[in-house]
Amino acid sequence: MEAHVNGSPVPVPDSPATSAAAHLRDGLGLTGTKVACGTGVCGACTVLVDGSPAASCLLPADRLAGRSVTTVEGLGGEHPVQRAFAAHDGLQCGYCTPGFVVEASVFVDGWRAEHGDTPPGREEIADALAGHLCRCGAYEGIFSAVAAACAGEFDTLPDRDPPRVDAVDKVTGRARYSADQAPPGTWEGVVVRSVHPHARIRSVRAADADTPLVDLLPADRTVRYVGQPIAAVAAPTPGRARAAAEAVAVDYDLRPAVAEVATARAPGAPLVHATTDERAGAPSYGEAPSPPARWDGNVRGPGTVTWRGPTAVRRLRAAAASGNPLLVAQEYTTAAQLHSPLEPHVCVAHWHGGGLDLFASTQSVSGLADRVAERWELDRDRVRVVAEHVGGAFGAKNGISTDIRAAVDLSRLAGAPVRVSFTRAEELTDAGHRPGTRTRVALLADGDGDLAAMSVDSYGDGGVSVGSTTATMALLMYGRAPRRVRDYDVVTHRPPGMPMRAPGGPPMAWALEQAVDEMACRLGEDPLALRLRWDGNPKRRALYERAARTALWRGRPRGPRTGRFRRGVGAAASNWLYLFGPRARVELVVEGGELVVRTATQDLGTGIRTVLSGTVADRLGLPGGVRVEIGDSGAVFGTGSYGSRTTPSMGPAAADAADRMRAALRGRDPRVPERGPVDEHVLKEVLSTSEGLSVVGGRVRDRWGPPFPDTPDDLGVGRGMSGAVHLMEVEVDTLLGRVRPTRCWAGIAAGRIYSERTARNQCEGAVVQGVGYALFEERRHDPRTGAVLSDDLEDYRLPGMGDVPETEVYFHQEGFEHVPGGGVGLGEVSAVGVAAALGNAVFDATGWRPRDLPLRPDRVIEGIR
Amino acid sequence: MSTVVRPDSLEGALAALAAGGRPRAGGLEPAGAAPVVDLTGIAGLHGTARSGDGGTRVGALTTVAALARLDGYPALSLTAGALATPQVRGTATVGGNLLQRSRCAYLGHPAFPAAHTPGRDCPSREGDHLHGVVFDTGGCASPHPSSLAVALLAHDAEVEAAGPDGTRTFPLAELYGTGDPLGDHLLSPDEVLTAVLLPAPVPGERAAHRRAAGRARAEWPLVEAVVRLLPGPGGTVGRAAVAAGSVARVPLRLPEVEEALAGAALDTGPGPRVAAALEAVAARTSPLPGTRYKAELLRATLLDTVERALRH
Repeated sequence: MEAHVNGSPVPVPDSPATSAAAHLRDGLGLTGTKVACGTGVCGACTVLVDGSPAASCLLPADRLAGRSVTTVEGLGGEHPVQRAFAAHDGLQCGYCTPGFVVEASVFVDGWRAEHGDTPPGREEIADALAGHLCRCGAYEGIFSAVAAACAGEFDTLPDRDPPRVDAVDKVTGRARYSADQAPPGTWEGVVVRSVHPHARIRSVRAADADTPLVDLLPADRTVRYVGQPIAAVAAPTPGRARAAAEAVAVDYDLRPAVAEVATARAPGAPLVHATTDERAGAPSYGEAPSPPARWDGNVRGPGTVTWRGPTAVRRLRAAAASGNPLLVAQEYTTAAQLHSPLEPHVCVAHWHGGGLDLFASTQSVSGLADRVAERWELDRDRVRVVAEHVGGAFGAKNGISTDIRAAVDLSRLAGAPVRVSFTRAEELTDAGHRPGTRTRVALLADGDGDLAAMSVDSYGDGGVSVGSTTATMALLMYGRAPRRVRDYDVVTHRPPGMPMRAPGGPPMAWALEQAVDEMACRLGEDPLALRLRWDGNPKRRALYERAARTALWRGRPRGPRTGRFRRGVGAAASNWLYLFGPRARVELVVEGGELVVRTATQDLGTGIRTVLSGTVADRLGLPGGVRVEIGDSGAVFGTGSYGSRTTPSMGPAAADAADRMRAALRGRDPRVPERGPVDEHVLKEVLSTSEGLSVVGGRVRDRWGPPFPDTPDDLGVGRGMSGAVHLMEVEVDTLLGRVRPTRCWAGIAAGRIYSERTARNQCEGAVVQGVGYALFEERRHDPRTGAVLSDDLEDYRLPGMGDVPETEVYFHQEGFEHVPGGGVGLGEVSAVGVAAALGNAVFDATGWRPRDLPLRPDRVIEGIR
Repeated sequence: MSTVVRPDSLEGALAALAAGGRPRAGGLEPAGAAPVVDLTGIAGLHGTARSGDGGTRVGALTTVAALARLDGYPALSLTAGALATPQVRGTATVGGNLLQRSRCAYLGHPAFPAAHTPGRDCPSREGDHLHGVVFDTGGCASPHPSSLAVALLAHDAEVEAAGPDGTRTFPLAELYGTGDPLGDHLLSPDEVLTAVLLPAPVPGERAAHRRAAGRARAEWPLVEAVVRLLPGPGGTVGRAAVAAGSVARVPLRLPEVEEALAGAALDTGPGPRVAAALEAVAARTSPLPGTRYKAELLRATLLDTVERALRH
């Protein structure tokens, strides 16, 4: 049997269990076609079959026989919509991009045939691309790219290079992700997971003694949630590996379990972590190690931080006792949000000659190589970690995850490379999540309307893990009024959380920023004006003033709304820490007469390649960009991408490398100026005689900055906080309970912006993820066993093109002049207040104050009834 | 590993199924020992054709996308066009849609091997059933997932099925009965759904469809409603057909709403009779603890759909 793929005849297998996507990728090496959900929902695997878009993950490979197939590779890179995606930056990590451009190519061609070169509206584009999900949330760029391609703006190659330096690789399917790496002879590994919430495992046996099996149990041989890894097995093909995994015999000694917070807190409840050792060993989803805290049954904490705490408590108690109307005391909850990067956790491990090579989807290439060397007791230079492109992470891909442990140990047993790739069900069950929270906030205003006292108590619901910081994040907002914040964890027999984009931030803002909004109502004051009075952060104050002047805020509806559809606008503030990695290094080397930037950092879709290229080019005054090679631990140390640290660490190191290169070149040719642009011809000449010249730049210190701490986790805490203000407009359908975000203004204060378009894209994506958090995203579980039920992308609901507001991003670029480069990270601060702004908009529209996330239709109709 | 059998006739397919084969319309089947019987080579299952009485025979392998473009059946087209995603609509078939498996999250979950076992209570009843039925008839608590079934029920469609004893034709409602406690339909394993038969289009029909859901597109409905208004004399509704989905084990016709709409004036809002009928529908729901909201959402969705059909 034969099919025509991209114009060439190819064989197709006659086995009914092989999907077309698997055959294209593994059989034909056409890895531009991605598999993310595996259930026909996300569209990453879209190919054209006889000219019509189809989800190749659902299509049997044998059904391709006699048909003509076009994959992203077959589009050739010349389709106007590919150019438009690159030019309008309709992508971040790029994992969904091939599917989007394949589908959009058909839509654009059809639209132009029918309508000529007129751009379609957002609704038409959202209809056409309804079968695609982008977890990074690059929808603004996609809308403008598709409209521009329809309008005929990309029939010829544009004059300017795309704003993102790896955009062309991503829109053509050439970009290689770790999931695409399977050297010939690679075996497949499959993880065997617990089907019980709590048990001691007596034994684990493969059905066949020849099957490589590695044990993944903790030292106490106890599983504490459904889905916990028990073992992993490998076989030469995916089908045989799955069969081997199903045949593994696990002997469970069942123990009582608690799956709900309420039952976990009841007297006499079974303990998730019973002993001091178990409690000390509980996994943490905090960004930093959790300080010790006391335990009471399944409740850990409080971790308390106060500023004039007794005064705060005394004032709040007195206000409660006297029924003071300027006391706002409310409780808010949030649901578990899953990172769900479209590229799953995946690792291809290969032992050879005493060394270990890993292709891993990781947010920390250098850090992972360090940890792998330590764990498997190898010299650091015998470990090589490669992550050329990373298909999203959001906090879930840091450290030695289950896929990496399993692949490394299985590869040693199998004597072959082994790939372990999470299914979407595994990704949505046991790859981390932002834990649900229950947060009680109390704010008291005095007679002048000033903040007199604040308290926040928050209970994190992170399954077997601890590390909630939701309340602590509130400590840093609204000046220095007396306050007490307390964080607790309630442990249950459910999967552990992981740090997720601004850990603790969104649930804190959901509670605090709605309470502030409520206070503005009580005081009869404009919510931006109130924040301007309360908030001492000068950067955010500039944003409030700017926000107040937007058409969105000035034109917002006033007074009671009536009728079925009600419009409202809400505001919320965000705050985040400025962190950086002191160990950041960037090598600049002359190769083939060209400058090459080389470092072991990684691009998760944030655009760090673009930042590095642009920074070196700017610093040397070069007209174009500079080639960048990252994602290989063989290079100098690259900062891990978590804590909004990549740009403020790697950017200054790149600038330092450029300065050092200039000095080195000047030593060879005095025509290279001490500062200012280097003449193109001079540069070419001197580079042609400097082959192999290499300099390494580092992260220079901030002005008045603290000395760099020598921490193993490469963590520097800088001076100053980043800030954001979001305005959100919604339309609430009061009949059917649907909330539709229509417009958003995102003001971001993170200092100087290194790369405008990629930074804006990240902030637009933060709005998309915040809308998901507010309206749709919710991990659901069985209340008795804690088993995760929302384990596919139909039941775990990511926002699509039609669910997101038209978003405008504004950058306030002052306030970080003490930082080399003048700017700090913005991945997290841009995500904190989105859901809170949406909640305030719903209140403004309906007069109903939402308390519980997500705002599902059932909750909305119940709330506004 | 299993093999694929590709019969080019219905007789060949029935023989392969009688020998234990698993039918396949278009999508991937899970790995298994039994051979897969690919039905796509059977010419008679493809395409749509007008029948002698002016009705339409829709072959079982007709895609959802083709139904969305079908002339003369606006309620069906609207429903088909709102279902799943463009890629899925382009591949999924009417037969596959009508016979699709329950979407219960417990079904097939490794921690719940006993889900959907005869004689065992569904674990979702004591567990998570936010998307469950609001007309509870015992047994499985998941609503039937087919949207096309809702529209076809409102069209009084018939189903044609071939089996070892020949071909039979029966009302679509009988494909589901009153809801099998565990199964998704009442077709026997050795039968093949060959076609759906639609009555002749009604000129001047007004139709509306609504999915109440969180996300705007590509979303499973919490409640789905289809309303068809057939013209009567002097700007009134002659006969109405109203059906709801995602609320029961089977798609439901709602006779009280249909009766209330008969004789109603077109181009106005729904009057008190319709409002009373909608209350009556909500009142006869039998929700699970987690699906009480669906009683109100059903009333609201029907109201919206009726209103848009009247004002079309």
